[in-house]
Amino acid sequence: EEALAPRSGSAELFNKSLSDEGLSVLVVFFKSVKRQHVRSQLRLMRTLRSTARSNCAASRVTTPRARLFSLSPLQQLPLVSQGLFEIMASVMQKLITPLASGPAEPPRNKVTVVGVGQVGMACAVSVLLRELADELALVDVVEDRLKGEMLDLQHGSLFLKTPKIVADKDYSVTANSRIVVVTAGVRQQEGESRLNLVQRNVNIFKHIIPQIVKYSPDCVLIVVSNPVDVLTYVTWKLSGLPKHRVIGSGTNLDSARFRYIMAEKLGIHSSSFNGYILGEHGDSSVPVWSGANVAGVSLQKLNPDIGTEKDSENWKEAHKMVVDSAYEVIKLKGYTNWAIGLSVADLTETLVRNLNRVHPVSTMVKGMYGIGEEVYLSLPCVLNSSGVGSVVNMTLTDEEIGQLKKSADTLWGIQKDLKDL
Amino acid sequence: MSSTKEKLIAHVSKEQEAGPTNKVTVVGVGAVGMAAAISILLKDLTDELALVDVMEDKLKGEAMDLQHGSLFLKTHKIVADKDYSVTANSKVVVVTAGARQQEGESRLNLVQRNVNIFKFIIPNIIKYSPNCILLVVSNPVDILTYVAWKLSGLPRNRVIGSGTNLDSARFRYLMGEKLGIHPSSCHGWVVGEHGDSSVPVWSGVNVAGVSLQSLNPEMGTEKDSEDWKSVHKMVVDSAYEVIRLKGYTSWAIGMSVADLCESILKNLRKCHPVSTLVKGMHGVNEEVFLSVPCILGNNGLTDVIHMTIKPEEQKQLMKSAETLWGVQKELTL
Repeated sequence: EEALAPRSGSAELFNKSLSDEGLSVLVVFFKSVKRQHVRSQLRLMRTLRSTARSNCAASRVTTPRARLFSLSPLQQLPLVSQGLFEIMASVMQKLITPLASGPAEPPRNKVTVVGVGQVGMACAVSVLLRELADELALVDVVEDRLKGEMLDLQHGSLFLKTPKIVADKDYSVTANSRIVVVTAGVRQQEGESRLNLVQRNVNIFKHIIPQIVKYSPDCVLIVVSNPVDVLTYVTWKLSGLPKHRVIGSGTNLDSARFRYIMAEKLGIHSSSFNGYILGEHGDSSVPVWSGANVAGVSLQKLNPDIGTEKDSENWKEAHKMVVDSAYEVIKLKGYTNWAIGLSVADLTETLVRNLNRVHPVSTMVKGMYGIGEEVYLSLPCVLNSSGVGSVVNMTLTDEEIGQLKKSADTLWGIQKDLKDL
Repeated sequence: MSSTKEKLIAHVSKEQEAGPTNKVTVVGVGAVGMAAAISILLKDLTDELALVDVMEDKLKGEAMDLQHGSLFLKTHKIVADKDYSVTANSKVVVVTAGARQQEGESRLNLVQRNVNIFKFIIPNIIKYSPNCILLVVSNPVDILTYVAWKLSGLPRNRVIGSGTNLDSARFRYLMGEKLGIHPSSCHGWVVGEHGDSSVPVWSGVNVAGVSLQSLNPEMGTEKDSEDWKSVHKMVVDSAYEVIRLKGYTSWAIGMSVADLCESILKNLRKCHPVSTLVKGMHGVNEEVFLSVPCILGNNGLTDVIHMTIKPEEQKQLMKSAETLWGVQKELTL
């Protein structure tokens, strides 16, 4: 009855019943359906379950799942009968003979997505459809929406190769993740710059990051929330992880947009156009024109004015379109999600499959290109399963280095004012 | 002066650029339409994707967002316009447009509103893609598939309703959860109306050919102590549950649409429970569309599997047919 704190007596009582009376089924009805009792109820069930495990040969004790807590005891009945079904001689027992018993193996390629807004769900669905994870966990503070999204994805299980999709407000559901994608936070309104969002998102991260690291101390963190470079720095500080394990999605998306726009102009597929946008993910990103090439043929060699004001073909326009894209799409549909979701899945693939591919992502650049501050900016990084393995030393012009330095200064200007990191 | 492009690339082919071979159009860029679009893109099913809607800004925004992801996709052309000319030469047209259920609302309520929308959409689709296969998703799907069939003038094999493909997927997911097996190894068919009166065919429920009903003869009845019937009830309630929690359903239906498109575009001749004309089958005499197991290929729905169902199940199908006909005969098409 009392669902407030699991009394030490409960587990003992259960123990006694098992041995003395040969009890084989324990049905727990919680009188309270209040949200604040959920934690204690879960704890009690877990205690009972581990007690049962260590005492019974039959380790099948069904823990009522999260949805139990929103139902009255009467509504709980059908679920209980489901639970009973699993314990009594059932279709399942007649159908299937288990050979290997023992605890389930932990997941090997678990991906967690924090935040189930448009970006988070686009990341989730891209990761699922690309078959990258053997377990997907979703976390958010808005419980109904979180549960709804989880159910909707689970209903598509038949079409997927990710057998376990879980979601909870409690971060314990994210335990043992290899990759954690952080999309939580406020997003840009129409016309708003990314830097405006800083302090609001820092406060949210102070709650999120320590919890993530608590349950997945060996994970690689991908930060997507904006302003991504500042927040990746914040994440690094709050997590205490070594710098190579904290990555910002950075200009991976800007470069993808750049490659799309340039390739369209040339009539080829974006993957055949090579070009990097580096530096800050935002208004002051740096297109590296010297590296832009198709089949190794440098465009700058064909057109030395490329990217400058003097260029009669105005290729610079392509970079401007990249910078404006996000604002454009937000103005038209209210937010962006598909492209960023696909780009995160691309990064996840490299990390999970240990590919050592090069991506322009946000990493700690102190000491490079004459930058003296601890800031995160996007540079071409070789990514593998431990995160950033190495950084490619691009030959940049003095002007491009100057732009990077300027971004670093702007970002440090914001970072040094942030409190309590 | 030659441009950078001309200096870089020498065009050598004298042929016209070939048109799309596998084009898919999605009508309606709401949550369901976009979930279908992203599932189709991530499964590499098509070489051209067209999006149509009446809300121009949202349409353009969604198309741009997808195009920005081109680097990560194998669909080189993503186009969108209010004008249906952009849908020309589609092999499959997925219709998701129309009003959707509000919290607590039944699918049948949406009928007349969606019929009016279809009167505009369907002729436009056929005008530009006279040989396409129509895949209707909008609810109530069985009635709207009938409406689409009438308005399009297409033969019945080219008009398919997404029907109970999703209900069966949900059933197999729940079955998989109960048995601890992946849904693709759990077989179960939910047929009939996509909605509150869908029919789970208990005799067909099996794993590795082992009929679960032979292990538990009371399965699906009130007497069943394991209450498998509640699994079907949960399938029926799923949509309402998800709508209550997040406002709409999108991912599962999107993935199930991509699954159907795959069978059609790749000419797989796979068997799916989809909505087709069932007049003359299972004692149904009215011209209605209900879901039965059908073979899908590049000519659309070419064959129907003859299910052996119990008299009670047949009665349920006949009753659904009557209900649907009752609504359909009032429609002005």
